Amino acid sequence: MTLRLFWQTLAWNRARLALLLLACLGWGVLIPIIYTGFSDAIREMVNSGMIPENLMSFGSGNFFTLPGALTLGLQHPLAIAFVGVFALGSPVTAVAGERERGTLEVLLSRPLSRQRHYTVVALAVLLMLALAVAALLIGQVSGAVAVGIADELDLGLLPLVFLNGVLMWGAFASVALAASVSFDRAGPAMGVALGFLLTNYFFEILGSLWDAAEFLQPYSLFHHFDPGQILQGDGDPLDFAVCAVALVIPAVWALMVYPRRDLAAPA
Amino acid sequence: METTTNAAIETRALTKRYGSIEALTDLDLEVRPGEIFGFLGPNGAGKSTTIRILLGFLHPTAGGARVLGLDAVTQSVEIRRRIGYLPGGIAIYDSLSGADALDYLGDLQGSAPVRRNELCERLEMPASVLRRRVRDYSRGMRQKMGVIQALQHDPELAVLDEPTEGLDPLMQQAFYGILDDLRAAGRTVFMSSHVLSEVERVCDRVAIIRRGRLMALHGVEELLARRKRRVQVRWRGVAPDLSDVPGLSDLVVDDDRLTGMLLGDVAPFVRAVASPSLVDLIIEPARLEEAFLEYYADEPSEVADA
Repeated sequence: MTLRLFWQTLAWNRARLALLLLACLGWGVLIPIIYTGFSDAIREMVNSGMIPENLMSFGSGNFFTLPGALTLGLQHPLAIAFVGVFALGSPVTAVAGERERGTLEVLLSRPLSRQRHYTVVALAVLLMLALAVAALLIGQVSGAVAVGIADELDLGLLPLVFLNGVLMWGAFASVALAASVSFDRAGPAMGVALGFLLTNYFFEILGSLWDAAEFLQPYSLFHHFDPGQILQGDGDPLDFAVCAVALVIPAVWALMVYPRRDLAAPA
Repeated sequence: METTTNAAIETRALTKRYGSIEALTDLDLEVRPGEIFGFLGPNGAGKSTTIRILLGFLHPTAGGARVLGLDAVTQSVEIRRRIGYLPGGIAIYDSLSGADALDYLGDLQGSAPVRRNELCERLEMPASVLRRRVRDYSRGMRQKMGVIQALQHDPELAVLDEPTEGLDPLMQQAFYGILDDLRAAGRTVFMSSHVLSEVERVCDRVAIIRRGRLMALHGVEELLARRKRRVQVRWRGVAPDLSDVPGLSDLVVDDDRLTGMLLGDVAPFVRAVASPSLVDLIIEPARLEEAFLEYYADEPSEVADA
């Protein structure tokens, strides 16, 4: 029964997931190519003073090393949009969306506890996010191989980057799922989840561009996802811990709130 | 809540409040195994709230409920394993075909859909229709899907919220036939409705609920027997004196015609009017609608008599 729900949750998302994986792969391949083609030119422009050096540090990434460029690629608004749509959209539609459509009632009239429903949806979302992060990394490595710079990367450290990425996106999905089980409609749940993601992104980017706002960065989950640092062998266990805690806290909250909620008749 | 009987459904002082709004107040119900129980009331009376508490969707503010001997709060998963539920205004996964939706819900139920083929046949949902996506279904077809998904695993207890909503008269009759079979097989059915003729037709007992409070709980026959029925008699010549007939009231005599209201046994009345000069005799059947309206006399009723 649980397995059926798990596969069906994946099946609802299969078309979107396929598109997402293609987009992530494509974007990943592009980053090393851009790095190879434009890194030197950009460095010259920075050295000549045409571009302020701060603008070259976007989040935790930069354009001057391959690991930095990969980080930049993973924190680029496009990558955030690709994965974020999925990390927020799937959890929100899985519970609040079903509730809004009225199908949650039929689902929960089966011998399925709400804790189990939550757990199955959470695992399915986590799997899909893991595939998305893997697609981004596979794309990046493929791109690096294609342009002959793969030796700049310690591929043995990629699993740690993958874990860090899954934990960070899992934390956003966990917040979205907690919001999803707390609201009767998808709109407010999406509002909370999107607000959380944008606030985190704003803190990280603002802190990287403006020294006075640097103190905000540690409060952003994006600051605790630093592939460049990991690939240079300087990964901070605290980053993993922060992302893991940020994933677990909403999950615990959701597991407490969801079973206790009154599910009144859909309007 | 401790169980005191072997009832299929038992509620004791069941109360549900939403802030200051009392949706359900001290509801005591007992549904016996093997009966078809009608739960009557207009919209907002508390029918769906009761059903949702029985299924564990809502938590009672006070009191308790047991379904098939299991506590509705702490053993809700086990309850749902043994029942079939048709929600009011059912929504089914639009993107799936009818067959896939039934398969999915059947798999989640964890019991073999032993009655699906029979139900599909009786409700005229052939394989060609089940191959279409649910989004292409009419309201009536969705309702039929709702009935099938609720009953396909042959549950011990069926909880049906407005089961004939959206069904055409032919399908309503088919559904009543299904209920008759469930009764014959010893299954219990708890159904809410505001279609009184339907309840009168299929239910053994009915509970009437108003503003969250139980107003009456009787057998349908008993409820009807307690109703006054309108009588009309016509004779050749002058109407005889019927003032001594027990239960007869509101008499109006107009030459050869007499009308009145009769409560209780009709035999004394029939004996009194029987004579060679009798031309016409009409005893209108007692209707559940009248019984129902009595409990709702001081407020507008949304009850339909279909």
